[in-house]
Amino acid sequence: MFDVIVRNGLVVDGSGAQAFKGDVAVKDGRIAAVGAVQGEARQEIDAGGRVVAPGFIDPHTHFDVQLLWDGAARPALEHGVTCIVPGNCSLSLAPLRAGDRRQVVGMFQQIEEMPPEAFTTAFDWSWEDFAGYRAAIEKALSINVAPLVGHSVIRLWVMGPASQQRAATADEIAAMQDLLRECLAAGAVGLSTSFVDTDENGRPVPSRFAQFEELDALCAVLGEFDRMLQCVPEFFATDITIARIDQLAELSLKHGITTTFSPVFDNAATPDNVPRIMARVEEQFARGAKVWPQMQTRPLDLSFSFLRPSLYFARLPRWSRILRQDLDVKLHALRDPETVAKMVADAGPDGGDKMLGRLICRGGDAAPAAMVGRTLRDIAAERGQSCAQALIDLSLENGLDVAFLDASLGHENSERIGPMLAHPLVHIGASDGGAHLASFSTYGDTGYLFSEFVRKTGAMSLEQAVAKITGETADIWGLKDRGRLKPGLAADIVVFDPDTIDREAELPAFDMPGDGMRYVRAARGVETVLVNGQIAYADGAYTAARAGVVCV
Amino acid sequence: MQLTRQRRFVTPGPDETVEALALRALPDQPVETAVDAIKSWNLHIFAMRKPAGLLLGSDVVFVEPPLS
Amino acid sequence: MTPRADEPVIVSADLVAGHDGSTELLVRLRHPNGAEGPVVLDEETGLRLMKNCGAAGLGELVGQSWRRIVEGS
Ligand SMILES: [Zn+2]
Repeated sequence: MFDVIVRNGLVVDGSGAQAFKGDVAVKDGRIAAVGAVQGEARQEIDAGGRVVAPGFIDPHTHFDVQLLWDGAARPALEHGVTCIVPGNCSLSLAPLRAGDRRQVVGMFQQIEEMPPEAFTTAFDWSWEDFAGYRAAIEKALSINVAPLVGHSVIRLWVMGPASQQRAATADEIAAMQDLLRECLAAGAVGLSTSFVDTDENGRPVPSRFAQFEELDALCAVLGEFDRMLQCVPEFFATDITIARIDQLAELSLKHGITTTFSPVFDNAATPDNVPRIMARVEEQFARGAKVWPQMQTRPLDLSFSFLRPSLYFARLPRWSRILRQDLDVKLHALRDPETVAKMVADAGPDGGDKMLGRLICRGGDAAPAAMVGRTLRDIAAERGQSCAQALIDLSLENGLDVAFLDASLGHENSERIGPMLAHPLVHIGASDGGAHLASFSTYGDTGYLFSEFVRKTGAMSLEQAVAKITGETADIWGLKDRGRLKPGLAADIVVFDPDTIDREAELPAFDMPGDGMRYVRAARGVETVLVNGQIAYADGAYTAARAGVVCV
Repeated sequence: MQLTRQRRFVTPGPDETVEALALRALPDQPVETAVDAIKSWNLHIFAMRKPAGLLLGSDVVFVEPPLS
Repeated sequence: MTPRADEPVIVSADLVAGHDGSTELLVRLRHPNGAEGPVVLDEETGLRLMKNCGAAGLGELVGQSWRRIVEGS
């Protein structure tokens, strides 16, 4: 008797092999049989017309804090993600001495934009070491977690305030090596470091004060455990990214480790960025180095409000001049009909329809609820105004605290991005799930992979796309137990409709501690998600299953 | 496999100043010229760093302009 | 102030989407060796450069010295 049989689905097993009609049986948390399965199960799931695939793996997230009160890392799980990698970009919540918590909270807030209540009321801060953090999240996980340990917190533990001031001594480096060993033994999947992040005061995070020799010494420890190095390099700066690739390649070859850097973006203004990066990655792989570039599927969106200075209007000199003034001067100008008439005229003979009509009123701020999620074109039509006039008036009516989104302004050319994502040396990831909460949604990149690059542009087959975010990801990260529908492996399974799987529109949600706001996207087309053989999500709802584990 | 030539860079030593680094990288030039050159090739450091002028051990510092 | 012929100058400026949803400024510098290279400035640095150049529009950045980019940093 099996525990679960998923019947009659189109089995896409995560290896890239051709899909086939069949069943997947589960027993004791593991896949017991794949194919035409005889026998019975306590529970059967009809997957007729649906794809049955391994659960998706998201290799770049910052769910470290959220996992302490939400073991499903919502809404990651409902998108079919069954394994997440938190602790990226040099930051994790352990090892961390009680006295250093404030400092690391500041760094986390800079990346995650989480409300302070998330750190003061939402969980009991009971640990200092990595094993303690692991125990704290393991109490109620419904998703699997392969946590990285952050270089910055390791440095802070060993060096204290000097971690953000100077190079380490030989003794300090040896102490960091010992501490890293302890974290890897306690279940860390690897080490993360950052070359770009700052704390809440704009000061570089501790990992950036490390000499290359320090990183080299830590990578020697990764080599002992055969674990990963993740880093975040400078954005859009191709020469620097290539320098980072060379550094990572040196570490990979010397210590026999796998490395990954994220994110890599394509952009109309820097069209040779990705081609040059990939040419270098190919050269380094040919030498035997493992340097995986991570690329996100979703485009970059811009947002702005009149409240804060922004470069957004740098193409419209008059707007730019007015909006960069102090608040009272700015308000005065925006209330002057003559000035506004000139601004509207600058926006074009159509009153800004072409230039501004596509902007979306975001919500989560002072914007009236009835406006949220609508285009400026739609709002302007309802008000009987031009788009430019509506933008100014709506902002004025709400104390200028109305944010607008201009979607898909970078990394947006699907005809270019599709083949890049399909490249055998591109690692799909970099969602940043759980970060940038108040800026944009970091969820649903997997749904977007299928809707945009399998269904719409056909850059990838269904099998390829599934393999990219399951089997190939598991191979890169050394997650030997996951990523494929193969007897004996952990039963992480997602059942989805290949014709509809997608991400929904971005909306504000007030589900963070202290009613804190974040932008989220719900999933479309994902019907059932099993984590270690238990149904964690089905029919649009999370279940009580808590079968997630910390996995390496 | 031969790697194609890319832009040359160094990383700052512990407590190394931009002047010391410029002299190390461009020993044949007067220090002021060398510092100017290093700065203009590394605006990712010299335009945006807080506090200004801080050099980090992990920085990639180019010692030549982009390759033509 | 006209830039000297023997130092890098801005030859173009464009807006790009930052990874964090902000608008960033991509300026392209031409170096005395004839090579051109992009520099991406975060929103704060980009706004400061516009101010340093007394520019309200992107076009006014063209021809400016690289020194305007570090001024006041
Ligand atoms: Zn990150």
